[in-house]
Amino acid sequence: MRGAKGARWAAVAIVVAMGATACGGGGDTGNGNAGGKNNGVVSVEIGQPQNTLVPSNTYETEGGQVIHALFTGLTKIDPNNKIVNDEAQSITTKDNKVWTIKLKPGYTFHNGEAVTAQSYVDAWNYGADQTNAQQTNALFSHIAGYTDLNPGPKKTVKTHTLSGLKAVDANTLQVTLTAPFSAFPTQLSFTGFVPLPKAFFKDPKGFGKKPIGNGPYEAKTSFVDNEGISLTKYAKYPDASQYNVKGIDFKVYSQQDTAYKDLVAGNLDVLPVIPTSGLATYKKDLPGHTIDVPEGATGYIGFPLKYNKAFANPKIRQAISMSIDRDTIASKVFLGARTAADDYVPPLIDGYRKGACGEACTFNPTKAKQLFTEAGGLPGNSLEIGYNADGDHKVWVEAVANEIQKSLGVKVTAKPFEQFQSILNDLDAKKYQGAFRMGWQMDYPNMEDFLRPVFSKDAIQNGSNYAGYTNDQFEQLLSQGDQATSQADAIKKYQAADDVLLKDLPYIPVYFYRLNTGFSNKISSMNIIAHQIDWTSVKLA
Amino acid sequence: MGRFVVRRVLQAIPVLIGVTFLIYCLVFLLPGDPIRALMGEKQDPHLALVLRARYHLDDPLVVQYWHYITGVFRGDLGTTYTGRSISDIVAQRFPVTLKLALTAFGFEAVIGILAGILSALKRGRFADNVVFIATLFLISIPVFVLGNVLQLELGVKFKLTPVAGIEDGWPASYVLPGLVLAATSMAYIARLTRTSMIESVRSDYVRTAIAKGLPRRRVIGIHALRNSLIPVVTFLGMDLGSLMGGAIITERVFNLPGIGGQLAQSVSLREGPVVVGLVTLLILIYLVANLVVDVLYAVLDPRIRYE
Repeated sequence: MRGAKGARWAAVAIVVAMGATACGGGGDTGNGNAGGKNNGVVSVEIGQPQNTLVPSNTYETEGGQVIHALFTGLTKIDPNNKIVNDEAQSITTKDNKVWTIKLKPGYTFHNGEAVTAQSYVDAWNYGADQTNAQQTNALFSHIAGYTDLNPGPKKTVKTHTLSGLKAVDANTLQVTLTAPFSAFPTQLSFTGFVPLPKAFFKDPKGFGKKPIGNGPYEAKTSFVDNEGISLTKYAKYPDASQYNVKGIDFKVYSQQDTAYKDLVAGNLDVLPVIPTSGLATYKKDLPGHTIDVPEGATGYIGFPLKYNKAFANPKIRQAISMSIDRDTIASKVFLGARTAADDYVPPLIDGYRKGACGEACTFNPTKAKQLFTEAGGLPGNSLEIGYNADGDHKVWVEAVANEIQKSLGVKVTAKPFEQFQSILNDLDAKKYQGAFRMGWQMDYPNMEDFLRPVFSKDAIQNGSNYAGYTNDQFEQLLSQGDQATSQADAIKKYQAADDVLLKDLPYIPVYFYRLNTGFSNKISSMNIIAHQIDWTSVKLA
Repeated sequence: MGRFVVRRVLQAIPVLIGVTFLIYCLVFLLPGDPIRALMGEKQDPHLALVLRARYHLDDPLVVQYWHYITGVFRGDLGTTYTGRSISDIVAQRFPVTLKLALTAFGFEAVIGILAGILSALKRGRFADNVVFIATLFLISIPVFVLGNVLQLELGVKFKLTPVAGIEDGWPASYVLPGLVLAATSMAYIARLTRTSMIESVRSDYVRTAIAKGLPRRRVIGIHALRNSLIPVVTFLGMDLGSLMGGAIITERVFNLPGIGGQLAQSVSLREGPVVVGLVTLLILIYLVANLVVDVLYAVLDPRIRYE
């Protein structure tokens, strides 16, 4: 009895002591936030960007979020996920190969320099040049002259200008591609394609810390690593009146769990991705202040087709696919943060067809077992599914493994790899024989971005085709899609290419990602388009 | 004394060189490829080759270490594979961890020693039991549980403290993380002080001091405490080093941009030069803290001499 009483006292004493010591400092914060409530500044969670804030060197969403607020590109994605012109007045082509882009006049960089066609030419030349080792280098590969700027490691680059780029006059840009590519205007919406001012080339390092953009917000201070950056509205931006928010504080968090707590406590205004720990409760914690929309990303199970003959028969892949109950995985394992995949292309992309995958992506253990036996099964009657333990993959891969085991009667093991690149290394070395998890997040909202970078011949060398899948018919249909003169026509061809994949099933599509976002009471409504906050849609309470 | 200090400083040099080389080897022996880690899920093999050549990653280990260590002697700690200067990282992250560690150090020294004295003087009574149970409680709770619970209760629910980050500066942003970080050691120090104090309170020289008619405050504060502090100071000295290096969990929970988080991230990204740079710094702190402890012995107990 005495002990119990003592314990209670001790607990009370500790809490009181901690409360008392913490109170002195905490009081100020509360007041600070209350005072700042209506000043029009919004704080946004980001992770520490991988590189300094140079647009062509930013290929992840964290830094991308900041670049997106600082810069304006030629095209952008509208709320219906259609591509519309942004800084471009018009984009015209006759053959999808030579593109003429007219700029809207009146845009300036934050240091006053006018944005001209040359600003784009210079920026793209820099991004495509291997000397500069920019992360988005490969995105420029469609432009004529790309290979001259990328001769290979330890070789010197002879020219630093893409032959396919020409600034005809201050407001006219002419781009020649190596081959017709109908998705080019879509690609231009990616932050890697924004223009750069002359100041950048004088001091790329300093620029990366305090970028000078041409967008609606300008950097008043430098980016502080692991802390963040503050932006204010750029008064001379032509569409400035459309922006409600006066300033943006990007705050770096190392843990999304912590950011989530800060959001609930009211110290943070936007958390673009709700962490798994918050998924079950976030709609209750933040009533009316959540976003739950489809995202442009797909999760797969892949197979090392290029060297493991055991998976060569498409029937085997179909059988494995049909033995997975995708709806249960999406709703139970992912708590609704994913939806069952029924195509390679996710729903928000133009050209997605509901149920395109058909029977092959529908849970049917009996049929699966039958197909599996017909195809002769797997050697050793066992299957391994590799996943990287550094991501959030263990739970769903184990669930999938369990389902396949139950449906097909084979022994399935989920094999953890320490990091994603350990899987890739083993695949490159042709060492790993099992299946593996894989995912693809779009760079630009076009069907083509879900086909070529993951399944084409080129993507074995330069992309994410880790299966080593090749199919000539698929390649032909892709290039027909590239040459199509209308968007509708292109989609038709890409869909035909998609059908080839759905028949072959080089990867098994398992789920589509959803975007779960939360925001504070300071914001009354907002919208996220292609992972990025649409700042014109953010309305303050 | 002077010679003792000089000798200790000289001894530190081979320790430092040996340890940096060892750590460098260990990081590079880790499986995985830093450039692939850098690119995450979007791999660009062509770009990877260019970057590998730039950072000498295809050279043998010894050559890589040579590039690194000659840079260090030129005063250049190198850059990360994303082109950030490591000196900048250290300069920016180090103060955060130092503030956190010193806050925690203050808590554990002051609260720990006071609780220990209280508990020794009230031996077997209510206060002793309170301290006993409180220390048991602190020792048995994992840091991340304590951190998360306090963060939720004090930060999110009652809004007494900032939830995370360092925007409110010192001390507001550091009090709660400091307490969490100090928790375990604080309990150990209370226990240590208690035991040591009980021993000296019973000793002959304390009885003599009481017999001389010295006031109780002086007997406890100077005669008993001074001798009791020797093991405590040893513990505190060692602990300053581990507070700096061991703040990984606390820094993550409270989103403090300190050394711990950077170290964990750099290990997972295979950024050898960053790991070596940061660890070297931590070793230096360890060495200095131990030197200070050794010197303090002589101050606390004049019988301990170094010559």
